Amino acid sequence: MNTNTSLSRGQAWQKWLWRLLAVAVLAYLPVVLTDRAAFGIALSNMQLLNLGLTQVNLMLIAMLGALSLNYLTGSAGLISIGHAAFYATGAMTAAITGSQLGWPFPLVLLSAAVSGALVGVLAGLPSLRVRGLYFVLSTLAVHHVIVYVFLEYQFKFFDVVGIPYAGAKLGGWELNTPIRWYFFLLALVVLVYAGFAASLRTREGRAMQAMRDHELAATSMGVDVRILRLKAFGLSSAVASVAGALFAYLLTNVTSEAFGITFAIQFIAMIIIGGMGSLPGALVGAAIWLLLPSIIGGLAPRSSEAVGLTRLFLVEGRAQFVQLIFGMLVIVLLIFAPRGITGLGRDIRQLLASWRGR
Amino acid sequence: MSAALEIEGLSVAYARKGLALQDVNLSVPKGGIVALLGANGAGKTTLIRAVTGLLDLHHGAVTAGQIRFGGQSMLGVPAHKRVRLGMGQVPEGRLVFKHLSVEDNLRVGADILPRGQLHEGLEAVYTLFPRLRERRQQAAGWMSGGEQQMLALGRAMIGRPQLLLVDELSLGLAPLIVKDIYKQLRVIGETLGTTMLVVEQNARLALEFAESAFILAGGRIAFSGTSAEIAASPAIQQSYLGGGAAQAAGEEAAQ
Repeated sequence: MNTNTSLSRGQAWQKWLWRLLAVAVLAYLPVVLTDRAAFGIALSNMQLLNLGLTQVNLMLIAMLGALSLNYLTGSAGLISIGHAAFYATGAMTAAITGSQLGWPFPLVLLSAAVSGALVGVLAGLPSLRVRGLYFVLSTLAVHHVIVYVFLEYQFKFFDVVGIPYAGAKLGGWELNTPIRWYFFLLALVVLVYAGFAASLRTREGRAMQAMRDHELAATSMGVDVRILRLKAFGLSSAVASVAGALFAYLLTNVTSEAFGITFAIQFIAMIIIGGMGSLPGALVGAAIWLLLPSIIGGLAPRSSEAVGLTRLFLVEGRAQFVQLIFGMLVIVLLIFAPRGITGLGRDIRQLLASWRGR
Repeated sequence: MSAALEIEGLSVAYARKGLALQDVNLSVPKGGIVALLGANGAGKTTLIRAVTGLLDLHHGAVTAGQIRFGGQSMLGVPAHKRVRLGMGQVPEGRLVFKHLSVEDNLRVGADILPRGQLHEGLEAVYTLFPRLRERRQQAAGWMSGGEQQMLALGRAMIGRPQLLLVDELSLGLAPLIVKDIYKQLRVIGETLGTTMLVVEQNARLALEFAESAFILAGGRIAFSGTSAEIAASPAIQQSYLGGGAAQAAGEEAAQ
């Protein structure tokens, strides 16, 4: 009994140590990823996994999208390919309230959340009637409608170049450097993560997962699955919409082409790679999806004197080559870890535990 | 004795298959334990669906008749509201929430109660089924069939229903486990006074457990009476329940 408590205290200690380490890494990361010099020698990002901070910022925004889709698909069991549409909704709302009406940035984000929730509930309405693939199709229809509206809006009020967004400002703090964006987005991701984690522990969150596991049984436990579906949609798309507004502000210029069907499908890929239904999985999936291609690109040698096949692959067809390797890695991952990275992690931990004889 | 559940002249039709129940009359007295018997396709599950309100999920509808629960008409009341009115359900095939832990499964069942009663409810279920206490952090979908059935029962009981509908409890389970679960179900009935309507393939088991029974055949009530009456009549058993298994029940009843 005594050793047991001291063991758990040791474990708690270890847990805090890990957390501290994570905070330290996350705080130091932007310094590493910007151009810097050590002992008078300039280092570029080529020497560090080919990653830049802006890419990390885009990843953080993608994490918001992946977290929200994971909530909808992994926790509530509703498959949607409408997530690009919710991004577009956020970007469009930000264009109206921010670029046209000149509202301050925090209010723009709030308006994006509200409009996202509204559109999300509308998009979720078919879920009351149709199931499975038919419902997926209805989200596809939503995607096309919204991207069409975005296109019309863009050409009516702006032009073919796209919609410009002003600099983002939080009170007196202007988000004008990647480092500032990084810390702002990081805080947001932590907040959204904690919010989803907390909501899944509430009564409704539990009922939602029950609904995912078995709709009929959830109903026979007194759960009103219709209301729950709409709520899941509203919350998920509100977050995705805010992510869309942030996406637009970070890029400072956005066209309707940014929100194609591949954009929607990438979120599904993220949560499958990371592990369906797992919040950390959504983060891991987004990180892999956004960062791995340029890491692969950075690993391949860059030589302008190469000839023949090497030249074909590494110089002329570099982008395609990177995509090819990335695609293969994803396939290999899905073959050996069908339940995603988090599922793989769980399996390995269980294997280790059984080897230790417990 | 007043009736907890009263069904009058009930007819049910499915969109693609036509009439499944015809002019069914059935009543379950308060605190009573009633079995619903019949061969495959006789309409047992349809009757339960009509009572729970899950018919529309299966593209079926009540075409005539009335269902009263606690004196209140249930027609047009959505399924989840019926549960909140005190109609507990143990669905066919158990249908536990397989990715949720055992305790979370029970919590979902308890969510129709005020928060303060959760702990007491959990304790009651764990006392009834100690196995569930041992497994309470485990994902429910990876337990044995018997354990899942205990969970499905606990999940329905924890909401303190007045009427408990149990559908095909013995399906795919070892006889000893089934016997054990029925024993606990009897304990529930005796201590809480819960009314029960039990659908069961295994007529012998059901007649041992229930006080009275209704036999469905071809969508109609073919016979109703006390368990002893049915067990004592070889003719009924031969024509509706398939002789062999039930004959033993008759012998037992005669003892």
